[in-house]
Amino acid sequence: MTQGAHTAAGNTPAAAAVDPLLDVDGVTLQYKTKEHLITATYRVGFKVYPADRFVLLGPSGCGKSTLLKGVAGYLKPVEGNMRLKGVDIKEPGPDRVMVFQEFDQLLPWKTVKENITFALMNGGRCKTQSEANDIAMEYIKKVKLDRFEDTYPHMLSGGMKQRVSIARGMAMEPDILLMDEPFAALDALTRLQMQEELLQLWEDTHFTVLFVTHSIEEALIVGSRILVLSPHPGQVKAELNAHHLTHASTGDPEFGELKTKIHNMLFADRILEDELAAAAAEAEG
Amino acid sequence: MSTQKTLPEPIIRPEFINENIALAHTGDVAVKLSVFEKIWNINGVRKAFILLSLVAIWQAYTVLLDVEPLMFPTFLSALDRLVSDLVDGELLAKVWFSVKVLVIGYATGMAIAAILVLWGTSSRLGGDFISMATAMFNPLPSIAMLPLAMLWFGLGTASLVFVLVHAVLWAVALNTHSGFKNVSSTLRMIGENYGLKGVPFVVKILVPAALPAIMTGMKVGWAFAWRTLIGAELVFGASSGGGGLGWYIFESSQNIETEGVFAGLFMVILIGITVENLIFRNIELKTINRWGMQR
Repeated sequence: MTQGAHTAAGNTPAAAAVDPLLDVDGVTLQYKTKEHLITATYRVGFKVYPADRFVLLGPSGCGKSTLLKGVAGYLKPVEGNMRLKGVDIKEPGPDRVMVFQEFDQLLPWKTVKENITFALMNGGRCKTQSEANDIAMEYIKKVKLDRFEDTYPHMLSGGMKQRVSIARGMAMEPDILLMDEPFAALDALTRLQMQEELLQLWEDTHFTVLFVTHSIEEALIVGSRILVLSPHPGQVKAELNAHHLTHASTGDPEFGELKTKIHNMLFADRILEDELAAAAAEAEG
Repeated sequence: MSTQKTLPEPIIRPEFINENIALAHTGDVAVKLSVFEKIWNINGVRKAFILLSLVAIWQAYTVLLDVEPLMFPTFLSALDRLVSDLVDGELLAKVWFSVKVLVIGYATGMAIAAILVLWGTSSRLGGDFISMATAMFNPLPSIAMLPLAMLWFGLGTASLVFVLVHAVLWAVALNTHSGFKNVSSTLRMIGENYGLKGVPFVVKILVPAALPAIMTGMKVGWAFAWRTLIGAELVFGASSGGGGLGWYIFESSQNIETEGVFAGLFMVILIGITVENLIFRNIELKTINRWGMQR
């Protein structure tokens, strides 16, 4: 029953009174490449509560993106289960909206506004075009892209494209917003700005977001709670609080301590792995 | 022991901050092009220049060297024949006959291709069928199907439509199918995320995302079809009643009216260019060019 221990650790006393919005329990995810069957995560469990900015943090190969795709419904777990509001996740749906890292997630044949209305109409949030237009404009203003609503995506910069994607995701008002390293392809300055803006948007409505990143600093700034995953296959290493940390606290000793702590957690694994690899090489040689 | 080399050190200079940056104004960033450059930048102008040069060479060659008109008429006499046949309506009737058959064949081919590709996207077997069938039939010249078509459908429009469908179908199906396969997984996931499945998913995500490939298929299919039709009409245009443009060319050559042959060829080229530049180019400008999928 090692599994029970994982989920129990995710339960804070305060949260126990509220039902979790998203309950991931003992999930093992596998996917096939041409030659291998890869186990991306092994018996991962965590609970996301309303208004959480829940971050999945880990090095590449820890299955954090795969986990997010599982929650989105693109991938079925081979073991364990995932529930949103108590209902098993079976397929992709507009109640869990994905924001990807790639800039090509906007439909190039639709303008900024049309990209959002397309989502609203097809996702079933709006019945009429005019209603969808109003909501789209509201969210375009929120991400400060008014004047660009009739622009096609190929005319926008990377940061602007990601803003549109976030606006599209938020306009759907999903139960949970799923963000897969949304700022990873941006330059450092734009990334800082986008993190700041995301937090401001969160202040408005306190939406729930599940955020994947490999940057410890981004996790600390953006996240309220951080799930640290170890690689090959992804397993839960720790779940930490970071709700009190923002851009403003990057200089604080606490920020630095937490950063070092997580760094050591992730780095300890790598040293162990390197040692194992070296030992294996020696045994073979 | 190596000789001691002094390494260059960075030179420490005083810092400064420019307070007047907002006041700075730039000079002429854009320089106007000369009138000639502007005109030369127009695509049509350059192409017209090439065309006129070719025509001038032709006219000069035939007139100056006094070439036998039965073998190679002057450009102007061929043009004269084209205009007079157009005016008296004979050529127009033939063109109309050809275009009518072409449109029927093209539309039928496209429709079958759409059904085929839909099957190909929904099942693996369908996809396998498309790649196998295109590999088999695409290299097969449609005109080679004509004897078989004549055997099955007789000497009539049905045979022409059959070979046209064969010409269009595989080019469009192959390009569309591979276009669909190249649609990024991100776009697919976005479509699924907003609840799109089945035919709406194909129509709203795959078709626009693969439009550059579909357009290529349609253009290739059009060129195949047009060539095939003229070729087929050369073979048996007359027996199917009115006869089309291909028959007009064949007839002219039989009557040793070489101007007529050239007039017919002009017409073939003219229609080809018109469809390419007016129809396909405009669709491209309004879609994939506007969306930044093609320059």
